[in-house]
Amino acid sequence: MSEKITIGPFNPELEESVYFKLVVDENRVVEEVELINGFIHRGMESLATKKNFMQNLILTERVCSLCSNNHPFTYSLAVEKIAGVEVPLRGEALRVIADEVKRVASDLFNLSMLTHLAHRHDLMKETLEIREYMQDLKETIWGNRMDMSVNILTGTKYNLNDEKVTFILKTLNEAEPRIKALQKAYQNDAVFKDKTVGVGILPYEDALEIGVTGPVARGSGVNNDVRVKAPYSLYALRPSLQPKVTTYEEGDVYARAMVRFGDIIEAIRIIRDVVADLPEGDTYLEKRPHIPAGEAVVRTEAPRGELIYYLKTDGSQKPVRMRWKVPTYSNWEALKVMIKGDKVDNVTMILNSIDPCISCTER
Amino acid sequence: MSEIIPKVFRINTGSCNGCDVEFVATAFVDKFHIESLGVELVEDVKDSNLLVITGPLTAKSEPFLKKYLNQMKKPFVVVGVGTCSVSCGIFRDSYAINGPLDKFVEVDVNVAGCPPRPQSIAEGIAKGVKVLNQKMHGEVTPKKIDTIFQDFSAPQTFRGKMALHEGMCTGCRTCETVCPSTAIKISKTDDGFTHNIWHNSCCYCGNCAYFCPTGAIHSTNNFDTAKLSNHKYTDINIAHIEYETCTKCQEKFMPPSRGLLGKAYVHDDVNKLNAKICPSCRKEANFKRMYA
Repeated sequence: MSEKITIGPFNPELEESVYFKLVVDENRVVEEVELINGFIHRGMESLATKKNFMQNLILTERVCSLCSNNHPFTYSLAVEKIAGVEVPLRGEALRVIADEVKRVASDLFNLSMLTHLAHRHDLMKETLEIREYMQDLKETIWGNRMDMSVNILTGTKYNLNDEKVTFILKTLNEAEPRIKALQKAYQNDAVFKDKTVGVGILPYEDALEIGVTGPVARGSGVNNDVRVKAPYSLYALRPSLQPKVTTYEEGDVYARAMVRFGDIIEAIRIIRDVVADLPEGDTYLEKRPHIPAGEAVVRTEAPRGELIYYLKTDGSQKPVRMRWKVPTYSNWEALKVMIKGDKVDNVTMILNSIDPCISCTER
Repeated sequence: MSEIIPKVFRINTGSCNGCDVEFVATAFVDKFHIESLGVELVEDVKDSNLLVITGPLTAKSEPFLKKYLNQMKKPFVVVGVGTCSVSCGIFRDSYAINGPLDKFVEVDVNVAGCPPRPQSIAEGIAKGVKVLNQKMHGEVTPKKIDTIFQDFSAPQTFRGKMALHEGMCTGCRTCETVCPSTAIKISKTDDGFTHNIWHNSCCYCGNCAYFCPTGAIHSTNNFDTAKLSNHKYTDINIAHIEYETCTKCQEKFMPPSRGLLGKAYVHDDVNKLNAKICPSCRKEANFKRMYA
């Protein structure tokens, strides 16, 4: 006897609005999945063509507050590609620092939601407490806990001095041992492992076929980190910065969580490396660029995977067309493979394990 | 008087995640002291009496929001978290937005910010709890509630409410041009300009302060944005930039910015420069000085 179950759209367990229609059999195993989206559609592609290049720096930040640095970063790279601008080396370095700090905070938040759904509340609290290190860092250096407003065309708005560098290093020194201890706690927690190991499996072949990106791909043994495969910005100029990517073969929820831990620890290593050898000079070019007519495609690695921006300009102050392909767009399809054949109680946890950014996808 | 337990249910009507993530942080990190309010998070909207709504209310969310609101038992309190829920913020001009929220439901407390600090969110919920208590006991909601959490200190670098140094502004409209959420409006009056900053539309990005050529507009670290909804249209920073009268021809003119003059004449005391004459009189005076 099959039963129909709906989840959402406003579910307290889910951070964003999604609507699931599931058909489950008598053992509460999912037979059919229907995903209904569109709740977060804000018409941003249309808005982007109505705003000028300076305003779009902030608009792209509001696509999603969890990867709010990657969007303006990639957008700036696209504009700079059209304008043929070379960003000062210090600007590139500062952009990478901001990017990696965001990555740590974003991954920690996802892990805390995962433990929340696995009903391990002390782990969740600990994860959120550690995330506060990054939040305080962002607030002190960039002025906001989520939307840091780092990028401008040709560089960055902010600059670092010795005092701020010391503060960054101090925060990292305090946070890193706690993160490593937290990873151990996750690995040794019987309840957490029981709920996540072998759940929501995405086999290697499916991962390749669907073309998943980011930690979801790496959890299934596919390494397609853009920072390694097609380095950009400072990752291209300094190959030593490229992350030593963690990959797992299992493709379950647990593997994806561990990949995120690997990402966090590598991100901290990258921030330390950049800060230790911070290039001198300007953070941006004094001359504001002229943006001619042209087209550009740029891709970067967001916390959730590959982010692609397409930009078309006609020489005016506003873009003619801007479109972006976000990591969740391809990871979303993998949900159908992951959820099918699993228990209905695990659905929200599997959904969380791809770190869905629905506001990016539906924009 | 029986104690009322505030039961919180969060609805995301199309936010960018920022407010939702910060709400989770507020709810589960001890340093924000939300447990002192005795708040309970509930699984079902039917049990709740304090709704926290984020996002600018997208077209697709609207019917579902209405459905959820119909399931609730009255009286209940609505706290709108984030600039989007107050005024739709940066998304205001989009075709897909049906908001702001108060078109469809009576909002009691607005918490502006993009996203608001957890301390602001906690303050907003605390005010919501107070309003809920009054509603439950049939009292009238007062026009103003004092701040409940007293700690409003933030790092000096925090981007809070924007403010304007009137003496430095020349009404050049750079801030108006770069503001992504059209929170700044400069209008001409008979004796100068009026400069309005709407804190409830502002997305606190700091673009205006960054691009301001004279350094007139700047961010403060004040984040006291959790206000009752009757303050929605009054939370504005209004500044008047007045023309000066030329001492020679009595024409009104916009004086040059002290900030810019300071940059241009590094070695001179700007206050001693004769700035009280209009550009055309200055041209004439200069011409006479050089060629007459």
